[in-house]
Amino acid sequence: MNFISHFQGQPFATNKVESYSRGKSLSLLLLAPALALLAIVFVWPLLRYGWLSFHADSVITGLVAIPNGGANWIRLLSDGRFWQDALQTLRFAGVSVGLELVLGLALALALHQRGPGRGVLRVLCLLPWALPTTVMALGWRWIFNDPHGPINALLLQLGLPSQGFLSTPSTTWLVSVLADVWKTTPFVALLLLAGLQSIPTDLEEAMRLEGASPWQRLRRLTLPLLIPYLGLCCLFRVAQAMGVFDLIQVLTDGGPAGSTESLALYAYLNAMRFLDFGYSASVMLGMFLLLLVLSALVLVVQRRFQQQQELT
Amino acid sequence: MSSGGLQLENISRRLGARSLLHEISLEVPAGECLALLGPSGCGKTTTLRVVAGLDPVSSGRIWLQGRDITRLDPGRRQVGMVFQSYALYPHLSVEGNLELGLEIRRVTAAERHRRISTILELLQLVELRHRRPAQLSGGQRQRVALARALLRQPDIVLLDEPMSNLDAQLRDNLRPELRRLLCGGRHPVLYVTHDQQEAMGIADRIAVMSNGFIQQLGTARDLYDQPVNRFVAEFLGRPAINLLLPQQGHQLGLRPEHIRSVNTGGLEAKLTGREWLGNQQLLNLETKRGQLKMLTSADWTPPTELRVSWDQGRELWFEEQSGERLK
Amino acid sequence: MNLRRPIIVAGLLLWSLLPLIWQLQTSFRTPDALVGGSLTSGWTLENYRTVLQGSPSFWRYMVNSALVGTATTGLTLSLAVPAAYGLRQQAATLKRGLLLLLVAAAVFPYVLLFLALLELARQLGWGNQLLALAIPYSGLSLPLAVLLLQAGIADLPNEIEDAARLEGLNLWQRLHRIVLPLLAPTLSSTAILVFLFSWNEYPIALTWISRSELLTLPTAMARIAGSSIYAVPYGAFAAATVLGSLPLLLLVLLFQRAIVSGLTQGAVKG
Repeated sequence: MNFISHFQGQPFATNKVESYSRGKSLSLLLLAPALALLAIVFVWPLLRYGWLSFHADSVITGLVAIPNGGANWIRLLSDGRFWQDALQTLRFAGVSVGLELVLGLALALALHQRGPGRGVLRVLCLLPWALPTTVMALGWRWIFNDPHGPINALLLQLGLPSQGFLSTPSTTWLVSVLADVWKTTPFVALLLLAGLQSIPTDLEEAMRLEGASPWQRLRRLTLPLLIPYLGLCCLFRVAQAMGVFDLIQVLTDGGPAGSTESLALYAYLNAMRFLDFGYSASVMLGMFLLLLVLSALVLVVQRRFQQQQELT
Repeated sequence: MSSGGLQLENISRRLGARSLLHEISLEVPAGECLALLGPSGCGKTTTLRVVAGLDPVSSGRIWLQGRDITRLDPGRRQVGMVFQSYALYPHLSVEGNLELGLEIRRVTAAERHRRISTILELLQLVELRHRRPAQLSGGQRQRVALARALLRQPDIVLLDEPMSNLDAQLRDNLRPELRRLLCGGRHPVLYVTHDQQEAMGIADRIAVMSNGFIQQLGTARDLYDQPVNRFVAEFLGRPAINLLLPQQGHQLGLRPEHIRSVNTGGLEAKLTGREWLGNQQLLNLETKRGQLKMLTSADWTPPTELRVSWDQGRELWFEEQSGERLK
Repeated sequence: MNLRRPIIVAGLLLWSLLPLIWQLQTSFRTPDALVGGSLTSGWTLENYRTVLQGSPSFWRYMVNSALVGTATTGLTLSLAVPAAYGLRQQAATLKRGLLLLLVAAAVFPYVLLFLALLELARQLGWGNQLLALAIPYSGLSLPLAVLLLQAGIADLPNEIEDAARLEGLNLWQRLHRIVLPLLAPTLSSTAILVFLFSWNEYPIALTWISRSELLTLPTAMARIAGSSIYAVPYGAFAAATVLGSLPLLLLVLLFQRAIVSGLTQGAVKG
């Protein structure tokens, strides 16, 4: 006897016809609210800046936008402060991201061994990254305080004179780099560690059987396979460091004498302190263009490396 | 259209420039189990998904129990399907997996309970009813998937390689069990597999497919003895058929079990290897018309040089270019 | 080889925790002790009292940040989940294009957007409206959230959804009864990352909120610092730092695994 006879019942007969295309349009509907908000938050500002950058809109014009041709852009090209800030921001981004990648990679390689305390390590890596930048920026100000901060206290104990870390351009810059490296290096290490763990262990074992030294394994196997991770990390970090704002605003407010001012801070000051919205928009667009060029550069370099690896 | 069973009328499915199914027509009456057999990429799973409504057709019509279901939403087709991965909902217990579909269809709680306990008993799943899929063995998962497919009184049952995740011994034991549960009911069964042994063991008829075409449709016996072309002849039978070097546009096909050693006449052959199969042995022979495999009794010790011929009337001739069999 | 790991762990411990521990001890010292007292004297809870009894109390900022964080997380997920699910159904080329744009948006330094967003807030009267912050925050977290969720959805086997379609579940039922329960781990790690972003956000809160009882934590801190480099009340400030860090410490301790899996999934699939 067949068991289906247990289940004699009316089938749910209905002939309602549904077209396949309905599913597609419905799924576009699911995307629509998110895309709308993304357009407002990301696309609208850039369009608005494009418009604003060709207008004078400041206290002088009574905060009314008046077309001024390319005056903002001409001013930008000859604005020494903009170009100085651009150089300072590039230097800050280059040195911090470089340090973060090198130190982060070293840390990731060192941690890429099985061992106890993975949870503790994860917490240690995440904590500096998770704390608000503004909070730690103030923390660093206290640590490098002259003469009461712990660093200067240590110097005094050693019989050395205390240093005005945050009143000398060169050391202030170093402190800002240190604060960024402190916050981000463990985080970069964590991302690269994930990349390391995605490499199958038998590849490493196969190379070991062929008698490759640890250095050769790193050069010929690990690094090539890490390139996509390094590229992404680099792109993300360069973009974020180029936009550095919270840290600089709270730690140094661009000082001393504008020596640590970043492009984002300059754009902010133009809008909020000098109340010159038209020019601020030009500064931000100028910074955006710079960022596009840099990102393209990072991507080209990454592709070049990847191709090189594929050829050899 | 005749009522009952499944009819496919010139079903084609194209994806861009690629043709996945080409003018497929077949008919499966209620109670019959038809296996779709072929190598991977031949279109057998696509056929199944088209019948289920998971993939759309480009042209052609599908009839099920007298209804045209070609453009019907999959949820309204009354189709029970066992997927290759079983596709059990990982977050629900066995019972929850069975209940979800009934709940969606607004079956009353009492009726749900009645149906579920009947099927749990039938498939010996009662003790496992509260387990999650991850806590079940492969065979148990397959039974749950089967229960889910049968629970909704389907107009057709579709199975997509339901044995491919099980080990060999379990497969052998399950074949008659599956046949008993599935076949001979009020619904047709479509069974997709790439394993000829499975197709022969379960199905009433077999459709051999390749490249989106049905090459041949018939009983296992027909396909084995009377293949329409070289592809079907090669695909069925293990060890595979011997194809001799072509002569004058014709090619001779000989099954290993039809080759005999003879004293005079036949072909000169040199023994190059022996594979012991337990109850039989397979001899590898070298002849001037190509390599031959010959199946003989296990306790015969063959000489290194011998002459072979074949059972008259069992040889198959193919056209060299097209591969069509010559009658 | 076996010695290397403990040394590195100890190094990391010092590197990550030393600045924080310094804040912790500062928060318990009297002003006199901070300018050159010994470690044996000058311990006090006064700093915490100052911060908590200030006007407005420090609690207020924490509550503000928690409110904005919760609203942002809710709004982001309710937009990102349907979007990630809708993305799965799109044609491959459209999907690829959208994903690339999302990656670009996720990498974009959003501080550049503040001026246009501020104009928007002024036009709509959203300045000094605490919960209105959730709108730009959601927009800014959407790229990462959609990327993470769509990676999670892409990991779900297609056949499970096919099975649900055969059983007659419609789009909403599939999302609600199959996809969401299976996505729970990805959902929680996404939620935490969005909450963290909102808790820490600075430039937009800085420009949108001026009334002191509506400040979020980062802006409140920065306002204390804004007074003067030399006159910052470091003891009270350190107490605020400790209090403001505790919820994050708790989040990181509880959800470290989820955070890391969210971040790395974003990196791998992005």
